[in-house]
Amino acid sequence: MTAARRGLGFGFWLSISWLIVISLAAIFAPWLPLKDPGENYIVAGARPPYGPSSTHWLGTDQDARDVFARTIFGARTSLVIGFGAISFGIILGGTLGVLSGYFRGWTDRIASIVMLILLSFPGLILAILITALLDRGLATIAITLGILGVAPVGRLARASTLVFAERDFVTAARAIGSSNRRIIVRELLPNVVIPMAALSLLGMAIAIVAEGGLAFLGLSVDEGVTWGKLILLGAGTRDLERAPWISFGPISMLFLTVLALNYAGDRLRDYFDVKDITL
Amino acid sequence: MLSYVAQRLMLAVCLLLAVSALTFSGMNLLGDPLVNILGPIAADTENPKSIALIEAAEAEYHLDKSLPERYVRWLGDLVRGDLGVQFSSTGEPPVSNIIKERAPRTAVLLVMAQSLAVLISIPWALLAASRARRPADRISTVTSFLLIALPNFALAVILKYLLAIKLGWFPITYTANDPFLSRIYQTFLPALTIALPAAAVYQRLLRTDLITTLQEDFILMARAKGVSKWKVLLRHALRPSFFSFITVFGINTGALIGGSLVVETIFRIPGLGTTIVEAIIRDDFPVVLAVVMIATSVFVLVNVLVDILYSFLDPRVKR
Repeated sequence: MTAARRGLGFGFWLSISWLIVISLAAIFAPWLPLKDPGENYIVAGARPPYGPSSTHWLGTDQDARDVFARTIFGARTSLVIGFGAISFGIILGGTLGVLSGYFRGWTDRIASIVMLILLSFPGLILAILITALLDRGLATIAITLGILGVAPVGRLARASTLVFAERDFVTAARAIGSSNRRIIVRELLPNVVIPMAALSLLGMAIAIVAEGGLAFLGLSVDEGVTWGKLILLGAGTRDLERAPWISFGPISMLFLTVLALNYAGDRLRDYFDVKDITL
Repeated sequence: MLSYVAQRLMLAVCLLLAVSALTFSGMNLLGDPLVNILGPIAADTENPKSIALIEAAEAEYHLDKSLPERYVRWLGDLVRGDLGVQFSSTGEPPVSNIIKERAPRTAVLLVMAQSLAVLISIPWALLAASRARRPADRISTVTSFLLIALPNFALAVILKYLLAIKLGWFPITYTANDPFLSRIYQTFLPALTIALPAAAVYQRLLRTDLITTLQEDFILMARAKGVSKWKVLLRHALRPSFFSFITVFGINTGALIGGSLVVETIFRIPGLGTTIVEAIIRDDFPVVLAVVMIATSVFVLVNVLVDILYSFLDPRVKR
């Protein structure tokens, strides 16, 4: 029993495998034996969209483009946005949180105020404000969604730093004359990183979903395909009625990925016993 | 108690001021409303005729004043309940009228969604907690996990397909001129889209807290005195288990406001969500600011209320 509780479990590794498969597929998409995502596979004598078949596994869209190939290519942008967003959130929020938890005093007060203001915007409102005012390039979208992660990540990093800064090994490091910089990098960071890893999986899921939300508002990246834009393409009433696969193909891929990220994140959180997560 | 409420309200006002100042300066520094007011002429700064028009428009909409001056003017109007004029060619109708027309639709959607979420989650949590760690509970845990992983726009598409197109139980679109009751009926599907994942989140929290409460001595006492299992659940266990539920109810309001923007667009409800999206694309600052202020005020105030309610339920929180 204890042995079973120690491990991360089958579901965790299944989730990780799915994430690896989908990431590899996204990275190597141009070299995989997929249909061309931009090509119109018109069949003489029939009007697109075509239903799922052996040639088009998930069918085709209104312009006879292969839904499966486009979903894989959509993973490229969606995963980059998710990964970029959470990296930005972790780097900025993590730095802010660790510094305010370690130095306390005024650093802490100012950082707390910044986070409080960030948290009082409803998330998507902040995102549409920024994307609407700046351009809608890949980097802007990723950073915008990253900003949403700064406050939750920062709070977690601050809370864990506060706990670890009281521990004996930090006092010992200070006693032998380590600089603040050395204590933060060598003693605190390795401990703070663990709970943040769990949070980053959940955060990546949230960023991927938020991109979809932006796509439905017409505010996602202006070039290339993403899962959100693919789902939107088939979400009109008429298209949903005659060709549900246009939306349901990318929905299932998005769903499985978010599910895997959530499950793996939850398991990691339980495994490392991270209690104080506010997301 | 009173000083605690006053303190929380002061903080809320400060936060709203910060949010409005940030939004106001961000929009004014980065956006260009002249294009929407004047059309393509705004870009033509060579022609003396269009320069005259631009200067006239700047004077009319107070765009020639400095940023702090404009902010103070806007804030003064806001306090008096005037949300200003639109940055469009006519400036009509005033922003307050647009908001008065559209805000109730979003409010109905959100209130309906939260009520549905609460109505679904409480019986669900009671059922799961009473069968803790048995098959029914396992199934309910998996179901809630799947629901939480389903983004609201995907759920909207799925529900629209299943309940509106395949089964035909609900209308697909929203008609603003229909009588009130049929608009409520048309709002049900969008509200359900927002409510289902929220219900799953609430259910998970309430279930955990219920299971903890059910292990307390006073529950054992009640059961020993012969109170029936369901009466214990409803009468004794439910109330002390509401703490996390209430906190997350507040925090979740922000996510629901964001979710309602997307869901409104999908089901074509002309509420605040569609309003802000249109206004942002047109650089129509006063409209955007109005919606941002309403959304953040609701969010911040709900959380203040939650804090106060919390301190009523558990007096230790005040300190």
